[in-house]
Amino acid sequence: MQREEKQQDAVLEAVISRVNDLKTSIGAMIFKVENEYETLNWPNFLDNFALISGQLTSLTKILSNEKAPALRNFTVLPLMLKPDLDENLARVTEGRLTTFSHDIVPDYLRTKPEPDAELKMMQLEHKANCVTYETAQKQVAAMNKVVGHVWDLVNKAREEWESEAGSRSGAAQTFSLTDTPLLVAAISMGKGLKHTVAPGAMMGGPPPGPQRGPGALGPPQGPPGGIPGQMGPMGKAPSAIKTNIKAAGQMHPYR
Amino acid sequence: MAMAQQTVNTAIDSLTAALKSNIIPNQEYFLQGSILDSSVEVLLHRLRGLCDNVDTNLETFHDHEMCFSIRGPNNTQPLQLRVRRSLDHNGMPMQLRYIGQPEIGDKSRPTVLRNSIDIGTSNTVVEFLTELGCRKDFEYSAKGYMFRKGRMKITVFKVFKIDETRKMMSSGGFDALSPLTHSYLVELSVLAPSGQDAIADDMRCFAEQLRPLVQLEKIDYKRLVHGP
Repeated sequence: MQREEKQQDAVLEAVISRVNDLKTSIGAMIFKVENEYETLNWPNFLDNFALISGQLTSLTKILSNEKAPALRNFTVLPLMLKPDLDENLARVTEGRLTTFSHDIVPDYLRTKPEPDAELKMMQLEHKANCVTYETAQKQVAAMNKVVGHVWDLVNKAREEWESEAGSRSGAAQTFSLTDTPLLVAAISMGKGLKHTVAPGAMMGGPPPGPQRGPGALGPPQGPPGGIPGQMGPMGKAPSAIKTNIKAAGQMHPYR
Repeated sequence: MAMAQQTVNTAIDSLTAALKSNIIPNQEYFLQGSILDSSVEVLLHRLRGLCDNVDTNLETFHDHEMCFSIRGPNNTQPLQLRVRRSLDHNGMPMQLRYIGQPEIGDKSRPTVLRNSIDIGTSNTVVEFLTELGCRKDFEYSAKGYMFRKGRMKITVFKVFKIDETRKMMSSGGFDALSPLTHSYLVELSVLAPSGQDAIADDMRCFAEQLRPLVQLEKIDYKRLVHGP
């Protein structure tokens, strides 16, 4: 007997602490919704929800544990009702409940649904009992059919969606991996743009093109000097040639 | 009041003061990528949805950029200066810009970082630079679209070579531009005073939203120099 009581105490304590956790997180969420609704983002909100749902699950686990006594078998018996302020009660309930009076008690200690709801339940149950076994089976089958249909629809939509997403990322390449460095090199150091080099070389000035020291010294200067003569008739070709020469010149640092 | 007059009395002083209090946006955080011509419409559509200037028409630009360089006294690395002018808005001030070496940093840094200082100038800046001894390194024209998202600037543009042979013509060669590649360059950048690294994370988030359409990345400039 004593052991059972101890167990009951332990379980109650656990339940109370879980309920308190739940209360704090719900409170935090309400606070967030009321005060941070401008900055609150959806993932954050869902995180809160997930927390609460996790806490509910663990609460249910405790309650459905084998060791936990069936709480519904215990009775709470109001011994004394009075319409006066009860400071102790107010403190325990954090100010939510100040009197333990006749108005409130039926609501707080309710173990049955409200009479209206109970009546409605009765009616429904009665109706359910009136249905014959066969019609019930028929209705269940129809319901299953509808649900199965919806399930199929959802599954089909998901499959389509996933295959579409898959094919999109697989098939259509929207960017070129080689073009990015090409463009960046062009605007940052003029790679492939430097056909203005030729006139400078012709005038005999120092090589204007070379960007970063050593690689550009020496050999590459020869060919650009030769090309300008052909520059006119050849149109755009020289630029391509020169890019090649540059590339060769830049091999130097590796030697 | 008296103190303010004492400390800030010349342009240089106020500039140093501004530098010290770190209010000059002289750092550029940026990411780069490219998109093929065939997919650019999709990207523009997505950007219009994501960015701030949705209600107005697509903002376009067509600029001509010239890169000048000048060697230091003891043949050190040349100093590069860029001059940019708008081709579709004649008579607007030109822009003179200095960009420093890009810093890639380690993996934890979400964007590339470089020094950047720019200023509006009159249209005689090219003569001025030439007189100083600067030499034109290369030039190109950039034509494309521009978007804003908060402090972020997103540009989607094509780089064109400028045809030397037609340069002497009245149009200056800008009527017969030949594109460098079949892609548009996409740049995401923010100018900020130094130390505002939080914006870089915002940029990374924004770049994520453009995937897999465009892959905005930290481009390693050192590899570009030595690469093929």
